[in-house]
Amino acid sequence: MIKRVMVMLAVCAAMACNQERQPCLTPTTASFNIEFIHLTTDTTTVATDTSLPSAAFIPMNGTGSSYVYFYPQQATFTLSLSAETDSCKWVFVPDSANRSQQPDGNLAQWISLLFQDSLASQADTMTFYYKRNLTFLSNACGYAYFYSLDSAHSTQHNVDSLKINNTSVTNNVNTTQLKIYIHPDY
Amino acid sequence: MSIPRSSKYISTPIISILLILAVLPALAQNNADTVAATDTVKPEVKKPDKSGRHLSIGVDAYHLVYNHFVPNQSGYEFTADYYLKNDLYVALEGGLGSSDVTYSNLQYHTANGFMRFGVNRSLLLRTDSADWNNMFIGARLAAANVTRGNAAYTINDSVWSNSPNTGSVAGRPFDAYWVELLTGVRVKLVGNISAGWNVRAKFMLNSRSFQDLAPLYIAGYGRGDKNSVFDINFFLWYSINWQRRWQRQHLKAPPPK
Repeated sequence: MIKRVMVMLAVCAAMACNQERQPCLTPTTASFNIEFIHLTTDTTTVATDTSLPSAAFIPMNGTGSSYVYFYPQQATFTLSLSAETDSCKWVFVPDSANRSQQPDGNLAQWISLLFQDSLASQADTMTFYYKRNLTFLSNACGYAYFYSLDSAHSTQHNVDSLKINNTSVTNNVNTTQLKIYIHPDY
Repeated sequence: MSIPRSSKYISTPIISILLILAVLPALAQNNADTVAATDTVKPEVKKPDKSGRHLSIGVDAYHLVYNHFVPNQSGYEFTADYYLKNDLYVALEGGLGSSDVTYSNLQYHTANGFMRFGVNRSLLLRTDSADWNNMFIGARLAAANVTRGNAAYTINDSVWSNSPNTGSVAGRPFDAYWVELLTGVRVKLVGNISAGWNVRAKFMLNSRSFQDLAPLYIAGYGRGDKNSVFDINFFLWYSINWQRRWQRQHLKAPPPK
């Protein structure tokens, strides 16, 4: 009897132990999370409603298939950093609803619009410098680039200043790395 | 953020049942002993262990079969155990294996050999000194030397580049250490050949040392990217039995008149 039970259990276990490739459930892109803060004066620390009405972000020199991002009214945004180089630039417009034209082409047309249209006066270019760290996520997800922020700079049409809050840019979506202070006059 | 799931064995419930089934007879045996002990007032007299020498050499048939169902992965395991005394066995196990990861975003090759050393303790009372059927629990300390080849990776970025970012991480050797707790049964089939299964819980001791790329498979352990895994074996043993010195002397001596 014990032989039969032993064989039966072994066969059941062999049939049940079916290993499958696991799906990748981890974000594979580092989330560069930024938060906009709008102060009423240069000297106050009290922020008004910091939501931007219709922000747009465009990656300068990006050659990917995704090249412009529109957001509804909100104050926090997620960008990405380029794994090709140790720096990258994003063009930022706080209210893209004011654009006079509707480009239907590629990134170059959008950049051309931003710098020739009425939006040009409110477009800011933010430049980020960082170090790239190749990081193993898992066998299912493979590798990803995480980053260590060195510095951040911006033109000052509407941006007053930048403050790096956390230098580590990983796939943690809950950490805000950069705070962007909007000019009080905006 | 989602919690990463690096592995998905769907056998855990069944293995849990196997563990329970494996322990139940032993518990029942203990209960029977307790009842029997309360029924008698005679002090327990410990009988000397009159077992002879017993050495078993075995091969794991489960992984031999399993290799055919899992592509790009192979593992071979061998075992030997020797009876000491008082239902205690010393066990030495070893093997080798390899695997190829051929995912679209990650490709690499690993190969390793491994050794395990430990003890088994029989849970069943033996009917006589020639009875080597048993149900046992045991523990192992294991080590493996893993060689991982270059790992080619691909990272897609739809914002900054149309072409995927590809590269390679240099291969390197590393050691893996783990401990195992196991339980199982073994029964005699015919002659000196016996068979039995066991289930093992394995716990990696130094997983931090290869976090730059935790190997998908380590022969003898299982998924190298998990800190604890379950595994099973189905061993076929060939046993060699011989007499202890006192047995030979006793058999040579003339029977008392």
